[in-house]
Amino acid sequence: MGITVRMPTLDAGLPAHVSIHKSGGRDLWSEPMTVPPADPGAAVVECLKEVLDPEIPISLVDLGLIYGTSIEEGVVTVQLTFTATACPCMEFIKEDIRDRLEQESWVSGVRLEEVWDPPWTTARITPQGRERLRQLGVGAV
Amino acid sequence: MSEPLSVDALTDSQRTALRRLILRLADTKRLLGIRFSDWLLGAPSIETGIAASSMAQDEWGHARLLYSMLKSFGEDPVEVERDRAREAYANAPAVDHEFADWAEVVAGMVVVDGAMTALLAGFAEGRFELASNRIPKMLGEEEFHRDMGLAWLRSLAGSAGRGRVTEAIRAFLPGTLAWMAPGDDAEAELAEAGVIPSGAETLERFRSVYGEAFQALGVSIETSGAGDDFDAARGRGPGAPDEETVERARGDRNRALFVE
Repeated sequence: MGITVRMPTLDAGLPAHVSIHKSGGRDLWSEPMTVPPADPGAAVVECLKEVLDPEIPISLVDLGLIYGTSIEEGVVTVQLTFTATACPCMEFIKEDIRDRLEQESWVSGVRLEEVWDPPWTTARITPQGRERLRQLGVGAV
Repeated sequence: MSEPLSVDALTDSQRTALRRLILRLADTKRLLGIRFSDWLLGAPSIETGIAASSMAQDEWGHARLLYSMLKSFGEDPVEVERDRAREAYANAPAVDHEFADWAEVVAGMVVVDGAMTALLAGFAEGRFELASNRIPKMLGEEEFHRDMGLAWLRSLAGSAGRGRVTEAIRAFLPGTLAWMAPGDDAEAELAEAGVIPSGAETLERFRSVYGEAFQALGVSIETSGAGDDFDAARGRGPGAPDEETVERARGDRNRALFVE
């Protein structure tokens, strides 16, 4: 009896617009909104909740890396930090944020501001993030 | 802390002094990172090698943040990192050449990294806004480096390696302290502007962390500051990192592969 092995395609599970890095969790992103949101500021945060840290599969929001967001005339500004000054995933994270937000028709651009004040510590992880980490077998002091 | 200070508010000579300070710190971190990375596979234990690798990663992250402060001077930090000749480097002399053995790595941790951290801590408390925003994160990461260095120092002090590590510390200390607190006009100018504390205060900060451990080895922390051969433009003693080191720091072999 022959065995058929089905290989995944390169873009399996990924939205069509994603063409560069294939960071984990992109397959969980929602489809772009068909109607612009009533509260774009809140919608930005909801979008960012879908972007996972490449190394720890919880969202950037729950990890406490997002220090602020705003939207003005369609341009989203995201203030973000990193867990370490030499975080090897900085570019992946930035790219994921851009790609997630820019898939929305009501977003015309994304500005990322890297901030280091106050310094990130594990105290910034949200209760939801801690619970998710606990489920994954990771403790956060 | 008094009113935050931006580059635009500085006089020409203050700007020159501040740029020199940033380059001295960034270059030293860049090269110390290389020195630590060399020991991933040569440390006394696997765990220690991995720790050295993590410290190298931290140092390079810190260097990146420091170089990026030069944007506020209208400079491109990438050019500064990749396009300078070795004679322009302002690093502490102890990292000019590769560390000969593990004793020198430990001396690099406690003397060079320790001196940088003392200088950074004062810089973070001063009026330069970018420093007070960015350096606290670095200082948090440096706490692990300090603990690692002091643990190794205590361990070697009670072993056959005591003499060798003492020798390495004695070799690194004078040039590093003169680099950290030269006592020259540029240092005084920045202290006057409230950007950093006086050299004496920086020295005292360093001494408060390492004085006791060094004393146990019979080493006292004293400096007479910059000597006659001090290069005031770079803020370090004579000499420069060797060509191979600078080629690595600049990424010369991979120049055709840069994608940024």
